[in-house]
Amino acid sequence: VTRVFIMKKTLLVLRHEILTILSRPSFLFALFGIPFIGAMVFVVAAQLSKGSQAASMLSTLVSNQPTVNVEGYVDQSGIIKTVPNTIPAGVLIAYPDEASALQALQSGQISTYYVISADYVSSGRIDAVQATFNPLGSQKHFGDLQYILNYNLLDNNSQLTLLINGPKNVEVTSLSSAPQREQNNMLTFFLPYAVTMLFYIVILSAASLLLSSVAKEKENRMIEILLLSVTPNQLLTGKIVGLGLLGLVQIIIWVGTGRILLAESGTTFNLPIAFQLPPSFLVWGVIFFLLGYAVYASLMAGLGALVPNLREATQATILVIFPLIIPIMLISVLINEPNSVLSVLLSLFPLTAPVTMMTRLSAGSVPLWQTILSAVLLAATAILVVRSVARMFHAQTILSGQPFSRKLFITTLFGKA
Amino acid sequence: MNKFFRIAWQEYSRHVFRKRFMLVLFAFPLMLAFIVGLVVVIVWMESNPTPVGYIDQSGFLAQAIPQPAPKWPERMVPMVPYSDPATAQADLLDGKLQAYYIIPNDYLQSGQVKEIYVNEPKGVASSQFNAFLSANLLVNVPADIAHRLQDGSHLFFQSTDKSRLASEEQFVNLILPFVAGILFIIAISTSSGYLLQAVVEEKENRTMEIMVTSVSPGQLMGGKTIADILVGITQLVVWGLFIVVILFFGKSYISFLSGITFPIKTLLILTLVMLPAFIMISGLMASIGATVTAASEGQQIMGLFTIPIWIPYIMIPVFIQNPNSPLALIMTLFPLTAPMTVAIRLGFSSIPTWQLITSILLLVLSAIGAVWLAGRAFRLGMLRYGQRLRWKEIFSPQQG
Repeated sequence: VTRVFIMKKTLLVLRHEILTILSRPSFLFALFGIPFIGAMVFVVAAQLSKGSQAASMLSTLVSNQPTVNVEGYVDQSGIIKTVPNTIPAGVLIAYPDEASALQALQSGQISTYYVISADYVSSGRIDAVQATFNPLGSQKHFGDLQYILNYNLLDNNSQLTLLINGPKNVEVTSLSSAPQREQNNMLTFFLPYAVTMLFYIVILSAASLLLSSVAKEKENRMIEILLLSVTPNQLLTGKIVGLGLLGLVQIIIWVGTGRILLAESGTTFNLPIAFQLPPSFLVWGVIFFLLGYAVYASLMAGLGALVPNLREATQATILVIFPLIIPIMLISVLINEPNSVLSVLLSLFPLTAPVTMMTRLSAGSVPLWQTILSAVLLAATAILVVRSVARMFHAQTILSGQPFSRKLFITTLFGKA
Repeated sequence: MNKFFRIAWQEYSRHVFRKRFMLVLFAFPLMLAFIVGLVVVIVWMESNPTPVGYIDQSGFLAQAIPQPAPKWPERMVPMVPYSDPATAQADLLDGKLQAYYIIPNDYLQSGQVKEIYVNEPKGVASSQFNAFLSANLLVNVPADIAHRLQDGSHLFFQSTDKSRLASEEQFVNLILPFVAGILFIIAISTSSGYLLQAVVEEKENRTMEIMVTSVSPGQLMGGKTIADILVGITQLVVWGLFIVVILFFGKSYISFLSGITFPIKTLLILTLVMLPAFIMISGLMASIGATVTAASEGQQIMGLFTIPIWIPYIMIPVFIQNPNSPLALIMTLFPLTAPMTVAIRLGFSSIPTWQLITSILLLVLSAIGAVWLAGRAFRLGMLRYGQRLRWKEIFSPQQG
């Protein structure tokens, strides 16, 4: 009978936590609004790639007024003697001196003129004078001008000129059996990036919810009344499981939407098969989320038990979340070299594993033994942390009201206080 | 006046002489150093020094010379000749090669090569192979011309009136106004964040009642505002000094830093834009602080204002591609997006004078409006508990 009674109280705490969070508009927005925005962006992008009317409206909003498509040049070096006939006529106009080129620029006949300096062979200097100063924008005909220059420097040898920057065409063959991702496809970077951010945000926000819920009840002294009827352990279990369930729902909705959109984009954008995450990814995602959440949520709960009020709680979080930030800081290394020593170490070390392993899984293939080992290590850590935090969650510590210090947190966690 | 300064000093020292503030102050330069280090490590890691093999059927690589040495930290990738594809493939599968190329006998006419790999090599391997091919194609060309052909041109961009100059070597000149803008905005958010807290905090712990018995609301609010703005400026000055020190000492060691100029005109424009922006955002934050009853509530509303301030940051590619688009115009004029947009456009391209003047005027007007709003909200909300001050009450003429 007592067992059932204990369960009932835990469930009561659990239900209360879920209902409180669900009644917050900000949580509901994060839960549904963000996938919705993602889907909207996707629809807009799909429309853009099809070139519909809405797309042309958008592009007029972000584009310049049409400008002339003609550029000029002034050759002070005397290199250019002949212009190869492969260059279309009229796109690059030669001017005898800068004054006449400037006049043409100001009267709007050309958008830019290039001045090839007299010592071009030794210095390589070319000045581009632009009607609209925009050095990072694309130059329309600079490639043509460079070709003309190279052609003349090589005594009109067009064959050689075309090969200066390497082969015209490279036919590639991969001996690997796994589907290959292209290096220059944007998704090669952004897919793992998005996955990493998603895990980081969901684990962190679910764990922070726990911290604030514990600290808030401490701050407004509600905990003193609560502890009259429930034990600290019931309170802790109810809170951790309840908020964990919400986090799980959140991650399933987000990852699910992401996967549907990715699969959909396979047909809409002709996405290569290499970018479609396997179904096992979702399973690993759930496992690593749950374990990562268990570790971080318990640590946060422990923190919440020790701090006297909410403000000190938020200041102290950096102590706990620091290991979670490390993969975010090293994200480009992890994505570019998913199988380097650093990446493997970070994905095995339990505190950085939940985020890092998901980055690696989405960036490329990971040996199965590493994934399993990482999950086992993380599970062991989770058990240890949960047990030690349960010890910390005594009425004595919760109600003491002593000021928070890092030392106190660490010694209590290891059971010395 | 004495009370005013005491409040200001109390507010200033409370924030600045604290471990956490000092940490943020010095963490920023450390973070910068960390990022630079990370970039070097990534380039170094990307240039995998495993050799690349080639099978030359055309014969022009019979007496091959190596490609020119790459710039540090990129590492040299050795090019190894093979006579038949079978050995090359065996070495590739052994991991002794990262890729190999087959150059057909009609290469000079067709310009076509074949590349075989297991996992696609990083861009460095193929760019060094291209440099290798072109170095060998140009053996018979005079050395200075060959060098120019391989090295390419150095473009220097100029505006029509020659007032602005940019090149690849002086790339830093382009980002400097942008970086200065970001620093300004971070300082603004720090100040306004504290300002938001400043009002709510005393309401939350009920010190407000005691405070207003000895100082006037104007003194209290004025002192706090000045102090919090000074906190932001302190941050700005320390970071600015740090950048100046780096530029001063780095010039002699790092070549791309030597061409840096920071025109007074740019600094002046930035100040003219940032000053009213500073007052406007601080005013808005103070009014939020005065209307809400708890600090956590204020933080949520603050987010609404922070998003538009940072939106232009995401739009940088759009501004670079099309600096004069209608979107750029709208964001330059809209007060909340103006500070960041102006900073970005000022560096990467140029802004027509009329847009700048209109934008500054609009910012000044919004700053005045925000200060008025803050004063009114503070007087009405100062001693109000439990119930949030509604916007309607602030604007209704009967109140205050």
